Amino acid sequence: MSVETFKPYFPWITLVALVLIVGAINPAFFNLGSMVTLVADIVPLFIMALGMTFAIYIGGIDLSVQQVANLVTVVATVYLAQFGIFVAVICVLCGFVVGAVSGWITTKQFVPSFVSTLATGFIALSGARYLSGERALSMSAEARDASFGWMFGNTAGVPHELVIAGVLLAIAWFLQTRTTFGRALKAVGAGELAAVSSGLNVDRIKILAFALSGLFAAIAGLMFSVKLSGGDANLANGFLILAIVAVLVGGTPLTGGVGGVMNTLVGTLIVVVIRTAMVYLQVDATMQQMVFGVILIVAIALTIDRSKMGTVK
Amino acid sequence: MYQLNKVDKRFPGVHALKAVDFTIGRGEIVGLVGENGAGKSTLMKVIYGAYQPDGGTVTIDGTAVRFQNPRQAMDHGIGMVFQEQSLITNLTVMENIFLGFEQQFVRFGIINWKEMAAAARHQLKKVRLDIDPSTITAKLSFAQRQLVELAKVLTLEERIDGDLVILLDEPTSVLAKEEVELLFGLVRELTSRASFIFVSHRMDEVLDLSDRVYVMKDGEVVDVVTKADAQVDAIQRKMVGRDVDKEYYREQKQKPYDPAKTLVSFASVSLPGAYADISFDLHAGEVLCLVGTEGSGREAILRTVFGLEKPSHGTVAVKGAPYARRNAQEAVARGVGYVPRERKIEGIVNGMNVYENMTLSQMGNYASNGVLRIAEEKALARTWIDRLAIKTPDVYKDCGGLSGGNQQKVVLAKWRSAGSDVILLDHPTRGLDIGAKEDVYDMVREMCDDGAGIILVADTLEEAIGLSHTIIVLKDGEFQKRFDGSAGGKPSLFDLVHHMI
Repeated sequence: MSVETFKPYFPWITLVALVLIVGAINPAFFNLGSMVTLVADIVPLFIMALGMTFAIYIGGIDLSVQQVANLVTVVATVYLAQFGIFVAVICVLCGFVVGAVSGWITTKQFVPSFVSTLATGFIALSGARYLSGERALSMSAEARDASFGWMFGNTAGVPHELVIAGVLLAIAWFLQTRTTFGRALKAVGAGELAAVSSGLNVDRIKILAFALSGLFAAIAGLMFSVKLSGGDANLANGFLILAIVAVLVGGTPLTGGVGGVMNTLVGTLIVVVIRTAMVYLQVDATMQQMVFGVILIVAIALTIDRSKMGTVK
Repeated sequence: MYQLNKVDKRFPGVHALKAVDFTIGRGEIVGLVGENGAGKSTLMKVIYGAYQPDGGTVTIDGTAVRFQNPRQAMDHGIGMVFQEQSLITNLTVMENIFLGFEQQFVRFGIINWKEMAAAARHQLKKVRLDIDPSTITAKLSFAQRQLVELAKVLTLEERIDGDLVILLDEPTSVLAKEEVELLFGLVRELTSRASFIFVSHRMDEVLDLSDRVYVMKDGEVVDVVTKADAQVDAIQRKMVGRDVDKEYYREQKQKPYDPAKTLVSFASVSLPGAYADISFDLHAGEVLCLVGTEGSGREAILRTVFGLEKPSHGTVAVKGAPYARRNAQEAVARGVGYVPRERKIEGIVNGMNVYENMTLSQMGNYASNGVLRIAEEKALARTWIDRLAIKTPDVYKDCGGLSGGNQQKVVLAKWRSAGSDVILLDHPTRGLDIGAKEDVYDMVREMCDDGAGIILVADTLEEAIGLSHTIIVLKDGEFQKRFDGSAGGKPSLFDLVHHMI
């Protein structure tokens, strides 16, 4: 048994170990009710990370997700009264288009995805500020409850947020493991040149991966907006680094090709546990981002496949 | 003076060097021959410090040494002249010559360029190259760059007190006859100061230049012959491990092709920067081999047939019609299969298992509305594992962990199972051992019997001649000559080389 055989299980081992440690620090952590609340709270982040997984799985990255979510909170709030539940369609489309544009810039204009998505993210942010008039907007309570009240109910003790997360996870997992698209994603992530030589339409696959990332970010933004009953161009700030950490800690390396959406589930849970631990240990709120920054660096250094990188610039 | 004793080197899945003994005396020129994959490059890398041996010892004048990197080897007088030239093309000649050793010209943190230019001129004189040392390297011809490489290594003369060992890796592969003679003259002169290890595919050159020849096969030194006893046939037999005859390339299985059925037709096709005005027809059952040196346009033609390059002039018709777009999907849909040279990077997806690799080009056939029918994929993989005798524990094995020959079989199974009948083979036997090579040759004949047409860029000229019905010789992207290679009427090696350079 070598380290390599264990490698796929590292995220699981980490999660279990962290849960046990945090439980030892504060046994109240094991209270089922509070656990469910903790997890339900993080659903928008999980959905965003789920989308990000597609971008990272093909060896790219999507830095626009936080800004897409920001934009969507504004769009949802502004147009809720007018379109009712169909505002969701507009939101999802927004995310899809921003992602597809990033993908198009990356594949057709040969701009690396970390730059193209950074740029489209700023465009989305600008759109959000323009649309909101740089104010924090709020939804009318009746309109919100009429259209999206179902998102935050409870059935037999299970918060609907968790059900939504579960359904999206199942869809993403099905896409990844059972469809030609998912297989193509893996091929692009693990060996893009071989995928080209096998006649796959690699550009289209990559554009779709970024579009999906944007789409999931939009769903995350919508949920967040409904949850807080409002929208503003800075609402989702702080999500980006957590989403990246969730994907990488889960075991999908920046080089792509391995890992996937199930790993992101584990990664997100690790993020929840670490956040809870910091609350228990009374780590100052201003320090938390620092902790995640360090975790991000460590996670990348541990998971990256150096044989795939000629040089790093 | 320089000696390797029982040197061993292993890589995952490969025993690259098996207890290799090697000595080179002062002022000696030693040849090193072997097929691709015999372990020549690994041995050279051990010698110049890029690899560290797993076993055995390296001694210089009886003192054991161990190099962690090429720089340490250089400090002991061992220099390497690279085949794939190691010069940085956007630097000047003198910057390249003294790359990493600029300190000698630095005064108060500033490089004295005049001093460096003078020193560089001195080095260039050694190789009789009369050029301005401040020329940008990219402006030099290939042969000139080769000499600059040699000049760069010869800076060791001033830097090191002891003896030098200089490795020449395929230095003549793209040089014209006069340039080769010039280089050989230089090497002979320099033996007063240095010993040379000379690696080449061209047996006549090795015998011409070397005092002794080491013959390698499958990671072992199988013979050491002195110049006086050397015979080309005997060495070749040792290299391959058996007689290289008609049977080796399955010539007895070569059948005439069907001239009535044209699969691919090139009519005066040009791709700027790669090749110009190329015409040929590929027929069912034909092996058409493109022969030429590196950069003669062979690979670009394959890529054009596969739809990855869009030519500027002329028409490319595959099964009677040109491509509409510049990508490979159309080519694959029309039954073109591509077996790239870089098997591990372009051939298989390292990280995907056997069945995932086999259906990668034809996922549509194993999916309904985009949902894969994985059970059918596995059944297909099992069929082809049996049919081509692919050595793998099961269909779940990561293709990156298979041996080279089995990876190549997976790639061939991918195209054949999809019914491709235009197969583009780019160096299909590169790095394979003898048995795997013969398997590939058998598959080539079988595919022809099934009515497929094959465009081949072969690993060696012998392979090109042995396998093909038609040989097209290219030079610098231009058509030189067409040879007929029907069984029993094959051209000789010399016929081809004559037109290549």
